[in-house]
Amino acid sequence: MALLSTEERRRGESVRERFFADADGLRAVEARTRAVDGIVRDRFDATLGNRPGVAAVAVGGYGRCELFPHSDVDLLLLFGSMRDVERSQDEIGTLIAGLWDAKLVVSQSVRTPRDCTSLARDNTELHISLLDTRFVAGDVSFLRELQDGTLPRFYLRERRSLIRALATKARGRHKSFEDTPYHLEPDVKEGPGGLRDIQLACWMAQLEHVRAGRIPATTECLPSWAKDETLDARRFLFSVRCYLHYHHGRDRNVLTYAMQDAIAQDGDAKAYEGSGPDDMMRDYYRRTRSTYRLARRTMDASLVSTNTLASIFRMRKSRLSNREFAVTKGEIYFRDPHAADHSPGSVLRLFEFQARHGLQLSRTAEQRIRTQLPALRRHVESSAGHWRHLREILRLPHTALALSTMRESGYLPCLIPEFALADSLVIRDFYHRYTVDEHTIRAIGVLKDLPGATGGIDCRFASLLAEVPSPELVCLALLYHDLGKGVKGRPHEESSAEMVKAGVLRIGPADEMARKAVVQLVQDHLAMSTIMTKQDMSEPAVLETFKAGVGTLERLNMLTLMTYADTVAVNPLAALQWRKQLLWRLYRRTRSIFERDHGDKRIRPGTVEDVLDLASDADDRDALAAFLRGFPERYARTHTAAQVRRHAGLAADLRPGRATVSSRRREGFTEIVVICSDRPTLFAALCAGISASGADIVSAEAYIREDGLVLDTFRVIPMPGGELLQFGPRGVQQIERRIRALAEGRLDPSDLVHTEPRTRKRPSTGEPPLVTFDNDTSAGSTILSVCTSDRRGLLADLANTISDAGCSIEVVLGHTQGGAAMDTFYLRKDGAKLGQGTCESLTGRLVGACQIRTG
Amino acid sequence: MKKIEAIIQPFKLDDVREALKSCGHDRLTIYDVRGHGRQKGHKEVYRGQEYEVDLLPKVKLETIVPDGRLDEVVKTIIEAARTGKIGDGKVFVSDVSTAIRIRSGEEGDDAI
Repeated sequence: MALLSTEERRRGESVRERFFADADGLRAVEARTRAVDGIVRDRFDATLGNRPGVAAVAVGGYGRCELFPHSDVDLLLLFGSMRDVERSQDEIGTLIAGLWDAKLVVSQSVRTPRDCTSLARDNTELHISLLDTRFVAGDVSFLRELQDGTLPRFYLRERRSLIRALATKARGRHKSFEDTPYHLEPDVKEGPGGLRDIQLACWMAQLEHVRAGRIPATTECLPSWAKDETLDARRFLFSVRCYLHYHHGRDRNVLTYAMQDAIAQDGDAKAYEGSGPDDMMRDYYRRTRSTYRLARRTMDASLVSTNTLASIFRMRKSRLSNREFAVTKGEIYFRDPHAADHSPGSVLRLFEFQARHGLQLSRTAEQRIRTQLPALRRHVESSAGHWRHLREILRLPHTALALSTMRESGYLPCLIPEFALADSLVIRDFYHRYTVDEHTIRAIGVLKDLPGATGGIDCRFASLLAEVPSPELVCLALLYHDLGKGVKGRPHEESSAEMVKAGVLRIGPADEMARKAVVQLVQDHLAMSTIMTKQDMSEPAVLETFKAGVGTLERLNMLTLMTYADTVAVNPLAALQWRKQLLWRLYRRTRSIFERDHGDKRIRPGTVEDVLDLASDADDRDALAAFLRGFPERYARTHTAAQVRRHAGLAADLRPGRATVSSRRREGFTEIVVICSDRPTLFAALCAGISASGADIVSAEAYIREDGLVLDTFRVIPMPGGELLQFGPRGVQQIERRIRALAEGRLDPSDLVHTEPRTRKRPSTGEPPLVTFDNDTSAGSTILSVCTSDRRGLLADLANTISDAGCSIEVVLGHTQGGAAMDTFYLRKDGAKLGQGTCESLTGRLVGACQIRTG
Repeated sequence: MKKIEAIIQPFKLDDVREALKSCGHDRLTIYDVRGHGRQKGHKEVYRGQEYEVDLLPKVKLETIVPDGRLDEVVKTIIEAARTGKIGDGKVFVSDVSTAIRIRSGEEGDDAI
């Protein structure tokens, strides 16, 4: 009696054969459920069948008729009273043993109807499994009492706490899978977007719609659009899970690489009839991302309805609404439902809004975008000015969320057509854990989270990020860095570099240096990892070659951060600390060479041939070479040929004792270039003049050619109420005249009238000023670094303090970022490095200069 | 049987693997590790902040060899991992009483 009968075995085999013939997982699980029902009924009748007041009830997946080949059989034995249970102990034991002997993995519980709702009140799994109860054998009247009376009353009373408990468990489950369905080897049952998430949405809907006397069926209460989406996903996932169970002969649900090959290529299986494992996995992710979204939306909506605090918080978000977008229940909507149709530019603004506020996109807004994708693609192709919004998206705090939504809605491939190549792309790799597109977005997320680093080596990378004036360029490079993986047959970094070259012209920054930097970052994104693990970084030649390839300290900073983000986003379990340490060592050693060369390395014939190669003809080349000779090499590396040509032109007109000042409006700032002969306190006088003109110095670079020609560049923004803002082009000319007079020594800085512009108090970094001297790195100069809260006139005060101490400023690299100023000066005194005494006395005075006029 | 544990520079891993493969020994376990030898650590200043750099990234490789191949394998590792500079690492050798291949139950040298 205990073992499987011939008929039972034949039924089981027939279910399997039929599945391998038609790959219909939905039919297979139902057929297996019916087969198991027969076995249970048979064993029940033989043991408890003659007892009145007992029923065998299928619950959970078995109750829903979704019994996969090796799923547990969740069986509830329902008795009228505990006394009946005690009297039937032997029969219960015989029944369960018989079911195990029949090769069923039974998860049984023995309860009275009252026990079902009163016992184990914290046992969410039990209570949720009772949402799907189905009579199998015995006394059906018991089940009716349970289904029509006890359970609905219980759910009506407890549904809020059950929904909260369900959501908490689901969040924990999602977190254990890093909140993404894009795992290279996903779990089709428990993974985000997997079968458990479909069921989660169903359970939430069932609990929401339970009424006195009735619990809705499992998919009955889903919205119609969700039914369509889940039906497609269920059909696919059921087939895959059936195949995994049959293949392993047990309840294993991870779609490993081997199983992906087997399902996609096994002619006998026919569980998937696409063209190969890559296509199959794309289909997999397409479905699971939609079910994952459904699960999250359902959780969010249910939580708002059950949690007053969450509801209030959501309502407050409504205040973020503007004339284009409305925020309702924490989701973003187009105010004009047809905005995506007649104003395609609003879509990019919508994602900018999302990147700013970190809110989810409503389903209706997403649907609108989806239906307009062809028109949106044409709009992107035929219009310009996308960088302004893309730059904001990449700068704002919730970039990863916005990019993720752009991908899911299909808009990202409109903006960056090459992104389609990486969409759900599986590249099998020992270390990688996610698809290429997910890895890309995660890498950007890593960069965004970096300022919140609380300790260890991450803090060093965080302070490096604070030094980068345009972190959006690193994000843009990250967006492209792995797209070449979608092109087979060549190194992906080459393909990615080609894509980004075209991409930055279409949607990238107007600034040529910025575009070059992005292309180079993509091209070299593996360089640091390669050196870290393949080359001896204690070998000076290795570092010199690497440094020459990188070109500038700014690009090294960006490349380091890009490598950091790329490494961390590969796999959260990889040996990250080890890699971060190696990366930091390489960075510090290379940076040290840059710092040395900024003061020491001058342009000589043959050193910047690549810059000269950009000359238009031989005369142009000679003129550029003559102008460049004797400048620090950094100057040539940080300026385009056009900029060098312009500076050379300005210098050519310079008469002895005179200065030339030229200003230009650039994207977001005004650039003032001063060329003149060197003299003591010059840099301090120029800073004071700019400051007195009501301009704020965002960044400054000062170079002295060996023959004493000074080339100082200031990037300034107007202070509210300052002259620079008030004056038109003629006013700017007045400021130029003032700076020229200062440069030529015709105006004494102490005669400047400082107008105090109306200005709001600046945000302070809260950190005390850091002043350090380095007498080891450079052969000829002392390197002074000052890191402090920025304030108006800071650079002028620092330069004055340095000049007052009798020091000459050879090179200045200064910029402000996020309320902090980071200035580096290369100093000499009497033609040599500064002595210990000078450094010590200057430290206190510089700290004092940082602190004056603050607050 | 002997167990060889070698701490080497990360960038030397490929060289050591290639060298061992060339001498017919390609069974290895690799770990990414951090540590320091006699030199201990040093302080590093970045942007005015002082950091203790006391644990340097290294690669540790482990392999088991029959007694008769010990000298050859150790020599191969040392030659491939050497740069002549501080930080090249160390090799440790210890006795192994037996080895068992889980799949087949083979023991001793046959299980290596």
